[in-house]
Amino acid sequence: MKKFRLSLKAAALLALPLLLATTAWAQSVSLTGYVRNYTGVLLHGDHEYSIIQNTFNLNVEQSKGKVAFKVNPYIYQYPDLPMEFKLREAYLDIYFNTVDLRIGKQQIIWGKADGVFITDIVSPKDLSEFLLRDFDEIRMGVTALKADYYIGDNTFEFVWLPTFTPTVFPPEGSIWRPRRAFPIPPKFDYSRSRVTPSLENSEVFGKFSALTSLVDLELMAGYAWDDDPTMHAVKQIDPATHRLVGLTIYPEYHRLTIGGGSFSTTLGPFVLRGEGAYYHGKYFNSNDPRLPESVVKKNYLHYLLGLDYTLWDIHLSGQFIQQRILDYDDYIVQDENTNMGTFLASRDFLNETLNLQLFVYYGFNNNDALIRPKLTYDLADGFEVLVGANIFTGTEGWFGQYDNNDMIYTKLKYSF
Amino acid sequence: MRRRNWYLMLILALMAIPFAGKAQEKLTALEIMRKVYNRPTGKEMEATLTMTLINANGDKRVRVIKQFIKDFGNVEKKIMFFVSPADVRNTSFMNWSYDDPNKDDDQWIYLPALKKVKRISSDSKGDYFMGSDFTYDDLGDRKPEEDNHKILREETLEGEPCYVIESIPKDEDYMYSRTVTWVVKGKWYGLKRDFYDEDGEYLKTLKINKVENIKGYWIITQTEMHNVQKNHTTRMTLTDVKIDSGIKNSMFTERMMRRGLR
Repeated sequence: MKKFRLSLKAAALLALPLLLATTAWAQSVSLTGYVRNYTGVLLHGDHEYSIIQNTFNLNVEQSKGKVAFKVNPYIYQYPDLPMEFKLREAYLDIYFNTVDLRIGKQQIIWGKADGVFITDIVSPKDLSEFLLRDFDEIRMGVTALKADYYIGDNTFEFVWLPTFTPTVFPPEGSIWRPRRAFPIPPKFDYSRSRVTPSLENSEVFGKFSALTSLVDLELMAGYAWDDDPTMHAVKQIDPATHRLVGLTIYPEYHRLTIGGGSFSTTLGPFVLRGEGAYYHGKYFNSNDPRLPESVVKKNYLHYLLGLDYTLWDIHLSGQFIQQRILDYDDYIVQDENTNMGTFLASRDFLNETLNLQLFVYYGFNNNDALIRPKLTYDLADGFEVLVGANIFTGTEGWFGQYDNNDMIYTKLKYSF
Repeated sequence: MRRRNWYLMLILALMAIPFAGKAQEKLTALEIMRKVYNRPTGKEMEATLTMTLINANGDKRVRVIKQFIKDFGNVEKKIMFFVSPADVRNTSFMNWSYDDPNKDDDQWIYLPALKKVKRISSDSKGDYFMGSDFTYDDLGDRKPEEDNHKILREETLEGEPCYVIESIPKDEDYMYSRTVTWVVKGKWYGLKRDFYDEDGEYLKTLKINKVENIKGYWIITQTEMHNVQKNHTTRMTLTDVKIDSGIKNSMFTERMMRRGLR
């Protein structure tokens, strides 16, 4: 029955352009989007398909002087999974002389980092397929009121999220489910994981940004929720043997206060980028036996330095990222410093119809990496053929945990 | 007002002043190229730019851009909104170009998929613009002082009396070893330009196909660059041209890059 309802929704969505086309309204409404097939196959084992996904993504937009709207519905259709029909964005814009208001479900992206999330914490992430999706698909839209006030090339932005939206993790059984090590098989209790929608539980963010000849600058602050749940672990110890006989995990979300900023400037042929944030009140898992739920509250810093350069028509970009837990103690499961690097090399050929790209995430702590080569060819204007691979190296760490998920994939995309 | 670049020379405007009939002063090649560079035009221009890319098989790809340019005195600002093809729609590009010869352009690009305005280096002017046969340098600032110029001869081209100027870059590593430009006497615009690659081989030719008088300015509304080595051609056509139409200063901001053409 659920599938049938989804199909009706999907049919309604697919019929929307036709309906719109039959009305005079269509003359001023912009209908854009894409249709895409995405097929991936694992390189290990029986070469199972990591994904077969057909996507229909539609952007419906209209603008009338001082007001505008956008709705971005999309469908993910799989041969072996229920179809997903969702709205990535659905918002209204009101433009004043020096103020813009955007109300509704929207993606809000901050910061200067590429592929790393430091001050970019307003829109939560959909990690259903780890970090492999395009970034506009990893970013989830959130219901928000966003107000921008402009003075020359300076912008003050205020964001209010009335409700909390957590990170979406891969479902149970997915090859992208993060690996978690427990001493014995745990029982999960989600009774503490709900954040009740209320004014008290809303999130607020503020940002000042300036775009100048010398430097682009962003300063931000937020009173938010940690998008990732803390795994509170309650242990049952046999008093006779002092052995662990039971383990209950209570995923729970906690408040987080963040302050930070980012910059970008040119140094001759280089573009230098930096971004950093101070996170106040983050919970980390700990092995300290004195802690009743094996979690400890600490503050941490997360920062990045990046450099972009073009050499022999190859666009190169490197970033170094460090997460540093302050007032560290050795019981904390995570390392005091987590160091990561990214590297990008990209070159166009054949009048920019062919692009060859390599993007690498490298984790210094576990010597693990995600290597992403891809070749994109524009078969015709708006029709793109992509062939790529996702290679995971190492055995531990953020990337090494997926060592068995090496894959090659193709994406065929028709944009309209 | 000044006009500072070859692109604008080709794309934007021609001098409205007709041939005065007086005897021409003897000019040096550098003075001629400065006249081209500083040729007066309107302070503002908006237009739709259609680029048609034609490969050796005759296959065509079309890119459409809406662009706005305004001179602020010591800085000229330009913003471009990509209209098609569909996969680059809503991408925008902004360039601030300074009179100060020691100051590089500032450039930003807004990528709608990333929803980010990214600062990019203006150093890579040898890159080709959107897969066309025009490099950013062909389209952007190239100050006369960056080359050594020489008058090769004077001749008539397409009925126009021209100076034929050879320009050799002072930077030996520049992507062109030399260019040869046919500059129309008295009007101070380039009617044709030949480009030679680093090895001195003939690379490509830029020609003007159509000129229109708009608001008293001669506007070149169609140009064509043909790369003979790749047998690839880019035709640029300007439509809906508006000169001095009162473009707001706020058009050249991050706000508009993000908002796009709404």
